[in-house]
Amino acid sequence: MNIESLSTDAPSSPAPTPARSAPAVQISGLVRGFGVGDRRVRAVDGIDLVIDRGEIVALLGPNGAGKTTTLDTLLGFADPDEGEVSVLGRSPRRAVADGVLSALLQTGGLLADLTVGETVAVIASLHGADARAAGVMERTGLASIARRRVGRCSGGEQQRVKFALALLPDPDVLVLDEPTTGMDVTARRRFWEIMHEDARAGRTVVFATHYLEEAEQFAQRTVVMNRGRIVADAATAGLRSSLGGRTVSASLPVGTAERILAELRDDRSLAGPIDVSPGPDPLPGAVGALPMGLTRDGDRIHVRTERSDALAAMLLSLGAHDLEIAAPPLETAFTALTED
Amino acid sequence: MRISTVFFRVELVRQLRNPYTLAFTLAMPVAMYLLFGAGGEHADASAGKGNVAFYVMSSMAAFGTATAMSSLCSLAASEVRQGWGRQLALTPLTTTGYATVKVLTAVCFAALSIAVVFAIGACTGASADDPWRWLAVAALILAGGLVFGLFGLGVGLAVNSDSAAALASISISFFGFFGNAFMPLSGVMLDIAHYTAMYGYVALVRWPVTEGALIAGGADPLPVVLVNAVAWTVVFALLVRFGVLRSRRRR
Repeated sequence: MNIESLSTDAPSSPAPTPARSAPAVQISGLVRGFGVGDRRVRAVDGIDLVIDRGEIVALLGPNGAGKTTTLDTLLGFADPDEGEVSVLGRSPRRAVADGVLSALLQTGGLLADLTVGETVAVIASLHGADARAAGVMERTGLASIARRRVGRCSGGEQQRVKFALALLPDPDVLVLDEPTTGMDVTARRRFWEIMHEDARAGRTVVFATHYLEEAEQFAQRTVVMNRGRIVADAATAGLRSSLGGRTVSASLPVGTAERILAELRDDRSLAGPIDVSPGPDPLPGAVGALPMGLTRDGDRIHVRTERSDALAAMLLSLGAHDLEIAAPPLETAFTALTED
Repeated sequence: MRISTVFFRVELVRQLRNPYTLAFTLAMPVAMYLLFGAGGEHADASAGKGNVAFYVMSSMAAFGTATAMSSLCSLAASEVRQGWGRQLALTPLTTTGYATVKVLTAVCFAALSIAVVFAIGACTGASADDPWRWLAVAALILAGGLVFGLFGLGVGLAVNSDSAAALASISISFFGFFGNAFMPLSGVMLDIAHYTAMYGYVALVRWPVTEGALIAGGADPLPVVLVNAVAWTVVFALLVRFGVLRSRRRR
């Protein structure tokens, strides 16, 4: 920590020892660009992020949003142009050397001519963790292919090798960049089971992914990046419902649909104020797509609202049946946040 | 600095099963020695303090060493610039530690190349006037070979990884031919050879036998040979410097 940050950022209470109380990840005012001079592009343009120990955080964003650059500075591969990054109260490189920070790299390469067993043994030995090698290979399902050359492994198997390498130092903070790329469904499920066991044991997991359902299922917290900035940072469940409310669907008594819809159009209190997007896509074969988040499909209506409970009560009192209330999928939130 | 013996052992084994490395650092020098040294018509003729077979054997061991050092060091640089370098950067291994392991591996391989060529030489009639001349030649080969490690490192850093290894080995063959390591050059070719990268190295390596005398007649004074060796060491060091700057800029 330098003098300047002491004078401006120091908390009023006496600073406790960083190793004990520091958050897992602390990023403040991070700026990092590429290129030289006038052509320098800000890949990350001023982000602040604090991640506590034991959290599982998903980092989402379209290509070029700055996710990989953020992770690169978090791992010490790139230095910030501005701002500071610390992991468990120390510099990223220090954290790596201490064995408390590890990662599964998207662009991380393996040597094709080494066997799986040799690869794990080499990295384990560099961490001074030779004793853990066998257990980690067992856990990641590599024991049976230990003698196979890495170049002959499938994409999913190579991904598991990288996963094993990331687990070798038994890190407190684990960074995963597109971790399940190339894995089949079973391997992906197994992967996240292991991650959850580890998070319960106190390991912090930060992962970037293109699979929104992975963020939805496995991350308690989701950070959405776009154009080098953080555009949303919330509990994953909250992020889903914060945007666009919920969709209430119900089948109405025969012949009443038009009248009820007309009432809802007149009285915006229950169907509004949803005007950010035209609502859920009309179902296949839907007729009479209506504006402002109202659609009708025969006797069934779909209404997007932020007052789903009140609307549901009203519809039920009018004789509606087969009522469903659904939060929009994360994809809807994601699209709304990152579309220009 | 933490160096792991497992890392070192795996690196050695890797190169031992790499057909490319084996062909260029072991098979090729041995084959060239057998063809032009032991199998040549003047094998038993004197080349100064040893016979022609010994002279050719020394040249070929030097060439094998230069090849081993340059190709292994260029591979080391290419690997670290690719994903594997990022993987290693996530361990406590330092750049110095990495370089130490890689250079040790290359030196071991060079020593293996020398041992094999010398063993075959000893069995096929290569002889020197005194036993220490064998040791002196081997020591000069190993020490001078480090310079070609610099060359390989520089190429590996400066050139994109796909072509680095090929460029390094083609250059070494070129240096070998024009450095008077293979067939004895004469005339204008020999004049040009004095300025090329391997000339000083092989001339120094053969010094315990030739004491500067040239097969084509005449002799090189020691300072000429030394100036060549030192000048090219500086050039290769500058190449490494350039490579480091270039690979940094690319990040």
